[in-house]
Amino acid sequence: MTRIERRNLRNGILFALPYLIGGTVFMVYPLVMSVYYSLCHYNIITPATFAGLDNYRVLFSHDEVFWKSVYNTLYFTAFSVPLSLILAIGLAVLLNQAVKGLSVFRTVFFLPTIVPIVASAVLWLWVLNPESGLINGMLRAFLHIEGPGWIADVQWSKPSLILMSLWAVGGPMVIFLAGLADVPAVLYEAAEIDGAGPWQKFRNVTLPMLTPTILFNLVMGLIAAFQYFTQVYVMTAGKGTPADSTMFYALYLYRNSFVYLKMGYASAMALLLFLVILAATAGVLASSKRWVHYHGE
Amino acid sequence: MKATYLRWTLAIAACLAVVAALWPSEAGSPEEKAALEAGRVIITYWDRHTGHEFDERKVLIDEFNASQSEVYVRALPIGFTMEKLLTSIAGRTPPDILSTEGTILAALAPQHCVMPLDRFIEESESVDPEDFFPHVWRAVTFSGHTWGIPVTTDSICLLWNKTAFRRAGLDPERPPRTMTELLEYANRLTVRDETGLKQIGFLPWLPWDHTHMWGGLFGGEWFDDASGRFVCGDDPHIIAMFRWMQSFSIDPDAPAQLPYALNPEMVAAFRTGFGAYQSANNPFYSGKVAMTQEGEWQASFIARYAPELDWGVAPLPQPEGAPPRCYSPTCVLDMIPAGAPHPEAAWKYIEWFNSPRPGGRPSPASDYNRAICNIPCRRADVMHERFLGDPALSVFVNELLTKETPVFPVTPVAQFFIDQVERERELVTLRQKTPEQAARAIEDSANAELDRILAIMRRDQP
Repeated sequence: MTRIERRNLRNGILFALPYLIGGTVFMVYPLVMSVYYSLCHYNIITPATFAGLDNYRVLFSHDEVFWKSVYNTLYFTAFSVPLSLILAIGLAVLLNQAVKGLSVFRTVFFLPTIVPIVASAVLWLWVLNPESGLINGMLRAFLHIEGPGWIADVQWSKPSLILMSLWAVGGPMVIFLAGLADVPAVLYEAAEIDGAGPWQKFRNVTLPMLTPTILFNLVMGLIAAFQYFTQVYVMTAGKGTPADSTMFYALYLYRNSFVYLKMGYASAMALLLFLVILAATAGVLASSKRWVHYHGE
Repeated sequence: MKATYLRWTLAIAACLAVVAALWPSEAGSPEEKAALEAGRVIITYWDRHTGHEFDERKVLIDEFNASQSEVYVRALPIGFTMEKLLTSIAGRTPPDILSTEGTILAALAPQHCVMPLDRFIEESESVDPEDFFPHVWRAVTFSGHTWGIPVTTDSICLLWNKTAFRRAGLDPERPPRTMTELLEYANRLTVRDETGLKQIGFLPWLPWDHTHMWGGLFGGEWFDDASGRFVCGDDPHIIAMFRWMQSFSIDPDAPAQLPYALNPEMVAAFRTGFGAYQSANNPFYSGKVAMTQEGEWQASFIARYAPELDWGVAPLPQPEGAPPRCYSPTCVLDMIPAGAPHPEAAWKYIEWFNSPRPGGRPSPASDYNRAICNIPCRRADVMHERFLGDPALSVFVNELLTKETPVFPVTPVAQFFIDQVERERELVTLRQKTPEQAARAIEDSANAELDRILAIMRRDQP
């Protein structure tokens, strides 16, 4: 190693050091410790005592609410992720047309994404208000029907949250817009020459060329949906009401750690969530070979 | 080259200067600085109460700081945040005094995070356990020690809207006195029109889920204090209470509906239409709920948010044959966390706060409760014109003075238990479970959780 190389190495390490230290202290160490604590009884205050797989045993065989939270989270993920993707692609395609005031429309649809999550949750609490809310008010005024109780109704609480999640598709939409800008114009020209209509162009050119973007948004959407927490914490005062119908996995994890002081139990839940997200992401990535088309392939 | 070194030195010096300027100092204000210089011990007080309630406490703490020259209390409105409390104890930087909920004491004390106050109380001439209401003293005394000093407590009564009574043709000065009357009134005060529900007569889980309270008022026992175990599973009074709760939701299979029975979904809908609790849109203030179950704090809330409201307060009716009982949901207490740096100084403040002032004047705790409209935990403080002479407050206070007050379960799983009670109540009123199943589920799940926690605690013992 020459003097310059050594110097570069030293400087490189020095510049990366803040992250290396921060990453070790605030990410690697907690991650490793939470794996260990998941095998312990631990309440933060007194030292952890090793308990083997006890936390997992209780989780799987003695905790009804745990299974309810798993069901709620899968339900939410199964609907919100695909619907968000479809809506975001639809909006992106529409906002990719050359019409007047395009940047205004793009801004309007992106705007919800920059509203702080807590603020938007409180806002939706008002929109979904069965008595005086916007949605039921419109249903009453225009269709003369009484809307459901939305977030307060056992049957409607999860669909309400899914509806809410669709409001914030601005993030993936912008990424899809970038993806659309990347589709080479020659492909459309070629398709037109072959006599393709708008739908065929969308189906056979746009969609395949968007698949790398879909893959990215799908993975990010899955991760976010599995960790769904803030909105439901704000809207149900951290209780997952009514009748546990909005007790999501991350919310129940939080309740175990900071309400019931069962940090070991919560760590076990966190590790399971980590494994599920890892498996889901790996599954999607593995399947992507079959449906994702990259440029030039 | 020299210039580079100079620049570096200057940059580092500037960074150090910023760090030094921002470094937390022991004195946070000019008063604290003066106190430090005078050689006083500065102790930190974390207040569970915030907002105007904290302001009232601050007035008294200022009085304490001015009254002597050894201790200076720094008060912080922290609120009830478990995260902060746990991390401060685990990080060995707890406050000197923590004001917190009685319900969590039994979860914290066995983990060695709370300092027993026995020695201080024995030596004290003015703090006497005999002076306190037994049900609040029980909340702070267990495992052979006293862990905190209760400061504020509550009492729940029936509040009714006199205007709604008049509209329904009821005598506005005569509240329901028996359970039968309560339901009769609820029938007459439940108002519907073609668009739906307009006014709720009475609903036992508004504004808060008070299932635990009603179990006691029905004469049931959730928890056996002697054995420390939950016993509600087969209690006929608890089951009767759940059946009564269930009668408030429409039974789709019944041939005829009680007028006061409501569609749970519609209630949920109606309920989210309520305005914020602490605002003029509180459903009781705005006339959406005619009778409700509320605590003494409403005497000040209503004066503040709905001064026009014509309301009355009376004891909650009980079923026939039930022992005369009232309900007090535990207390807010002051405790000294284990590892607090200045326990002696902390006690000095706690003792001052809970002792009568010279010349027989009321204690600071009494002042505080009067100012925030809560009920003091010392009987002697309650037996005073400022509580008994106030027509609204006296009804609440008299409940505690004249009836048996069931003790809130003193157990490390109190919060878990209350969550189970709320959950099962919801399932019963949604008719997903029978009253019998609910009572059984609560006992079984709470005892199982208790066993797990106790097993862990035993293992932790050295």
